[in-house]
Amino acid sequence: MTPSVFGYSPTVIALLTLLTPLASALVIALFLRRAGSIASLVSTLTAAVVAAGGLTLAFGGFRDAAVNASATWLTLGNFTLTLGIKFDDLSALMISIVGVVGLCVHVFSLGYMHDDAAKARYFGGLSIFMFSMLGIVLADNLFMIFIFWELVGFSSYLLINHYHEKQSAADASKKAFIVNRVGDFGFLLGIIGCYYAFHTVNLTEIATATNTGVTANLIAALLFCGAIGKSAQVPLHVWLPDAMEGPTPVSALIHAATMVAAGIFMLCRLEPLFAIAPIALNIVTWVGAITALYAALCAITQSDIKKVLAYSTLSQLGYMVTAFGLGRLELVPDTQAGKLVLITAGAGAAMFHLTTHAFFKALMFLGSGSVIHGCHHEQDIFKMGGLAKKMPLTYVTFTIGVLAIAGLPFLSGFYSKDAILHLAEEKNYPVFIILFITAILTSFYMVRMWKLVFHGAPRSDHAAHAHEGGLSMTLPLVVLAALAIVGGYTHGSLSIYGHSFDGVISQIPHAEGLGVIAMSLVILLIGAGSAYAFYQNTATDSLETKAPAAFGFLAVLKASFDGAYNWYVAKFQQRLALLLEFLEKIFISGALIRGLIGGGAGLLGIGARALHTGSLHAYVYWFLAGAAILWAFAGGWLN
Amino acid sequence: MTVGINEYLYLSAVLFAIGFFGVLLRKNTLVIYMCLELMLVASTVALVAFSRFNRTMDGNVFVFFILTVAAAEVAVGLAIIVALFRRRQTIQVEELNALKN
Amino acid sequence: MSPDILFYFFAALTAGSALAVVLNKNTIASALCLLVSLVGVASIFVLLDAFLLAALMVFVYAGAVVALFLFIVMLLDTYGGDRKPFKKTTIVAASFGFALLALGLLTFVQRGGQETLATASPAELVPVGASLRAYGEQLFTTYLLPVQIVGFLLLIAMLGVIVLSKKFEGLEDVK
Repeated sequence: MTPSVFGYSPTVIALLTLLTPLASALVIALFLRRAGSIASLVSTLTAAVVAAGGLTLAFGGFRDAAVNASATWLTLGNFTLTLGIKFDDLSALMISIVGVVGLCVHVFSLGYMHDDAAKARYFGGLSIFMFSMLGIVLADNLFMIFIFWELVGFSSYLLINHYHEKQSAADASKKAFIVNRVGDFGFLLGIIGCYYAFHTVNLTEIATATNTGVTANLIAALLFCGAIGKSAQVPLHVWLPDAMEGPTPVSALIHAATMVAAGIFMLCRLEPLFAIAPIALNIVTWVGAITALYAALCAITQSDIKKVLAYSTLSQLGYMVTAFGLGRLELVPDTQAGKLVLITAGAGAAMFHLTTHAFFKALMFLGSGSVIHGCHHEQDIFKMGGLAKKMPLTYVTFTIGVLAIAGLPFLSGFYSKDAILHLAEEKNYPVFIILFITAILTSFYMVRMWKLVFHGAPRSDHAAHAHEGGLSMTLPLVVLAALAIVGGYTHGSLSIYGHSFDGVISQIPHAEGLGVIAMSLVILLIGAGSAYAFYQNTATDSLETKAPAAFGFLAVLKASFDGAYNWYVAKFQQRLALLLEFLEKIFISGALIRGLIGGGAGLLGIGARALHTGSLHAYVYWFLAGAAILWAFAGGWLN
Repeated sequence: MTVGINEYLYLSAVLFAIGFFGVLLRKNTLVIYMCLELMLVASTVALVAFSRFNRTMDGNVFVFFILTVAAAEVAVGLAIIVALFRRRQTIQVEELNALKN
Repeated sequence: MSPDILFYFFAALTAGSALAVVLNKNTIASALCLLVSLVGVASIFVLLDAFLLAALMVFVYAGAVVALFLFIVMLLDTYGGDRKPFKKTTIVAASFGFALLALGLLTFVQRGGQETLATASPAELVPVGASLRAYGEQLFTTYLLPVQIVGFLLLIAMLGVIVLSKKFEGLEDVK
């Protein structure tokens, strides 16, 4: 019996889920540019369709052969580019996340962007983003991933640039796109290398690749470059904090939950390749660890609520990447089945953390959106305060998010983070130390922000008159808060995952026992406690006033990368560009175009003009010449 | 020796060439026009000669039409020259170069 | 015999007066030489047994057209002897053009393949164009449409001349 959903094959459902956002974007772009309200409804309905489709496929048990399909797009000699769907537990999990978080963000945007003049453009951008993201999730070969990768980058550009009148927004979107491009260059090289070495870019076929050694390591490292760009790892992380110029729901959806997670997802897809490339895995581990620590340090000095969350995202992405890098192929005896089972622990831990992070980070971003909306678009945390009483629902949900990320036992973040710490402790002790310190810093800066925003007395008029948003803004917060609480339970009666994602969940390393809970509590107490005690209800950063040296150091740390890039651009890039422009002016424009072609045309013009002498006699001579040529033809002298 | 068609054709060619020579040489518009008429007449000679030696009527009738058209053409052409003279006060071809460039 | 001498005589007359048309200083003299040339051509037509055409030539061309030319010459008052001498370049260029043209035409005449025609002498050839009746037949049957069109043409030419002869008020000179 072939599986079906209301009589349609699962492949059709998958295609429907993929293409509905595209149709929505087209409709909005073509017809609804001025009708913002209708556009927002169309887009939100589409998000609902996507969520429904994705969850149906995920929880309906349709996997692999039931859903997979592929079509050839173009053929060049021996090379064929196909577009296809690969639906296994990994993509099922991802599509569920994208669907649920996407729907929450769309509903939130209905309230948040209600007064925006360019609502239609915004919702069109969201639809295009959903389409592109789903393309990455469902893709079955690297080229298709690359196509949708670029599309996601484009949607991000479009949405960051929503307030395009602001120069900072325009700059930020450009920066995001260009930095992503740099990563994508490595990615493309990796894809080409993959095709060259393995003669295929299909994900399933790569899994059976047998080359090891330098080739596999090099290709894996190049493919990781794409993740460095998209998931904002050091050194290509500089675009993510600036991307906060976009509207807050965009930050929630794209720059916290889904797009930046696409890099992790891609890595997990290519897991079999990385399994035979240990050197690349090492690189991955260390890049992730450095990113996690660096971002956490930078987050301590931020005064913009969204920037704190952005650096927090960077740090958590570092966690995911590190987790992936720590994974090793190992054969573990499965006592039940009585045979050896292949475990690739890294991917499981990374995906688990991705899932929980999507929930609580999106929750916190939407919560900050609610705060910003309530304070009339004030984003400086030193101008907030006392919002706990003014916006109780936001306060409660935000607190849940903070506790989740800080790792309070029995919340989702606790489970996923401890899986990673456990993995690190087993595999790579120095990395474990780095991640441990980062966890302390995480709770430190998150509680700092939480206290400054919600506690104490209001430090500005806007904060004093803050109010809760409407239902469209509070409902998603509640939903995401619930998920942030239960998202960590992978087994048992409270598990929302059921048995649908066993392919991924079985890979998560299990950290059991009181020791783990104790470790988490220690982290929480040290980090949260010190933050709560240290930061006072003042209008300036307490760290800045009490320990200016430390503050200065952290500020320099944050600015160092941007400074280095600016220096590089100013000194090398611009000079190279000027040189090329000079060459182009002289040779191409000057010699070739104006000289050769322009000169030729000019000469023709002069020649043609010379014919217009105005003298009748001249015209008669020309007539005679023409007649003579005709005679020569007719007489057979000129053939 | 009898005069065959060749002689008539030579005459036609010579007349045509002289007319052309006149167009190239003279600067007075009226004289140029007269030379144009000479060329036309030369073509009529050739036509009649061919018609005669081919024993057909077509050449003759064609000359008939040429005569008519040439007359009309002369009338209109001279009217144009008169109008031009009224504008430019000259009929020297070198000075009638308003179409220059 | 006699037709031959007549031909050569009239040919020389025609060519000579044509040259005179081209080379004459006086415009009136040019026009009158044109008249002589046309009369010579009319004689050639007679030698070719195209009598109607000869008559028409004298009536239309030599009579009306040349008269018109003379009218215009006298109207425009340019028949004086104030013609500037020919420039050297003009003479050279014109001679070159003349030679080229003459050469071309004569070549064509030579190569035209008159073998079939040259041998026939006028006595053997029946002059079809000698009878007026033949003209009438052709003009009103085969060539009826061109006759009508030429009629139209004459009408339009007349109208055109009337319009052109009007004084145009308010037109600015191009220069």
